[in-house]
Amino acid sequence: MTVAAIPLRRLAATRLGWLADLLPFAVGVAVWQILSALEIWPRVLFPSPAEVFRAFVADIRSGVLPFNLGVSLRSLGIGFVVGAAIAVPLGYLMGLSRASRRFFDPLVNLLQAIPGLAWIPFAILWFGLGQGAVTFIIVMSVFFPVLHNLLTGIRMVQPVLIEAVQTLGAGRAAVIAHVIFPATLPNLMTGIRLGIAFGFRSLVGGEMIASTDGIGYAIFNAQQYFQSARIVVGMLAIGITWLVMDRVVLRPIEQRTTMRWGLMREGIERV
Amino acid sequence: MTMAAAPDLLVARNVCKTFFEPTRGEDVEALRDVTVAVRPHEFVSVIGPSGCGKSTFLRIVAGLDRPTAGEILVEGRPVVGPGADRGMVFQEYALLPWKTTRANVEFGLRLKGVPRGERARIAGRFIDLVGLTGFENRYPHHLSGGMRQRAAVARVLAVNPTVLLMDEPFAAVDAMTRQRLQEELAAIAAAERTTVLFVTHAIEEAVFLSDRVVVLSGRPGRIIADMTIALPRPRVWAALAQDAAFVDFRERLTRLIHTGGAPVGGHA
Ligand SMILES: Nc1ncnc2c1ncn2[C@@H]1O[C@H](COP(=O)(O)OP(=O)(O)OP(=O)(O)O)[C@@H](O)[C@H]1O
Ligand SMILES: [Mg+2]
Repeated sequence: MTVAAIPLRRLAATRLGWLADLLPFAVGVAVWQILSALEIWPRVLFPSPAEVFRAFVADIRSGVLPFNLGVSLRSLGIGFVVGAAIAVPLGYLMGLSRASRRFFDPLVNLLQAIPGLAWIPFAILWFGLGQGAVTFIIVMSVFFPVLHNLLTGIRMVQPVLIEAVQTLGAGRAAVIAHVIFPATLPNLMTGIRLGIAFGFRSLVGGEMIASTDGIGYAIFNAQQYFQSARIVVGMLAIGITWLVMDRVVLRPIEQRTTMRWGLMREGIERV
Repeated sequence: MTMAAAPDLLVARNVCKTFFEPTRGEDVEALRDVTVAVRPHEFVSVIGPSGCGKSTFLRIVAGLDRPTAGEILVEGRPVVGPGADRGMVFQEYALLPWKTTRANVEFGLRLKGVPRGERARIAGRFIDLVGLTGFENRYPHHLSGGMRQRAAVARVLAVNPTVLLMDEPFAAVDAMTRQRLQEELAAIAAAERTTVLFVTHAIEEAVFLSDRVVVLSGRPGRIIADMTIALPRPRVWAALAQDAAFVDFRERLTRLIHTGGAPVGGHA
């Protein structure tokens, strides 16, 4: 790790930095290629990179992959927005009012451990088979990690920061806007990450059971026909989608806020 | 405090504070019957050994803690909570990490609704005054400890509070910077006619800055002396350090703290 780290860091600093970013993927594909070339397992159980690539291109050409991805991302997007839109205000309400905390905390704890997927039977009964049921369980999966992390963040706000702005004349609204909200941002971001991750899980599981569209269904369907390369295509589509969201949306937000303020770092190298 | 006198700006009357210590399951008496009156434009320091209740007292004046008994009056009105009339500089700076130096210093003005241009002008002046020019756009985690402390001082000064509360604001800066900041604070307080309640455990600092020094005993903090520091202003270290009267005040206060106050009746 340390051996590779030094030239890698130097590489990352140059204009060829993107090469360093690609390296982990290149290594991953190489290992995969070697393993499949050894033919330890039958090809239907362990497809090669080339097969997967061909399936990938075919599924894009036929429009199957873009369609399923679109369906899935729509459910995920709606489910995430609805889940977070309930969890975030409720989190600040619970964090800032003892009465609401006493009321909601037992309910939240009662429901928290129930996996999103456990809601599938009811989701199907209420919404019928299809993306409605899938979206519902995504809401249930996104809600709890967002709420839980936000509450943890609120509990960790340094009292002295609140007191300092109070002696500068801040009232309740100013304390919330200028202290509590920015102070909880690192935890809110963690909650959002976990929320999306849990949302993906429920998405795939939900579509396998309750839908006839989407990436989850496509993976399930490919398995029925022993199209193992297409299973991998579905899995990779999910992975790549997450990677893009992380690089394009979540990380830039963190770099502009929590990292810039010194509340969070990339990591600790000097130990 | 008879009815006739009392043009006092700030009065702490028989303030007592007892904390419940959950880890030990018992009460800790931090302050016992503290009575202090501060007149307008007066600079009063509270000194005493570590843990004697100095910060507790300041927090009660700020309205951040409630006294167990007694009350605080500012301009005759009882203190019921924190407010911009009692701006406080905390021992731990308490700058907002998500605001630059400039935004931190402007913050109190922004809350007051001071227009942007005016805000920038006032903030710029106080940033300059504490020697942070050039560091306006830095976030606190990129400032040194001493710089953070100075930013915290500028942040409160900019609001121009009725009483400025300071809890060991120069404890973490080096000796040279510290003397410079003390001279500047003395000059600013004199020029702005600010009323200051200043907590420190550095006796020299208290003598240098103050019109009066209140000495607290070890825990529970009780007032064991209230000494008027009759030294001329403006005060500068070059002139005062060897000054006989200055040294005399310092020695008397040192003795008071060491003996716990009992035998030496050191009232000026
Ligand atoms: N919130 C609290 N709960 C329980 N005990 C407390 C609390 N705050 C302060 N104390 C206790 O009250 C006493 C006085 O504390 P305080 O912080 O006022 O001392 P101090 O004079 O400011 O000390 P220092 O010079 O070290 O800053 C201490 O014994 C402390 O342990
Ligand atoms: Mg203290």
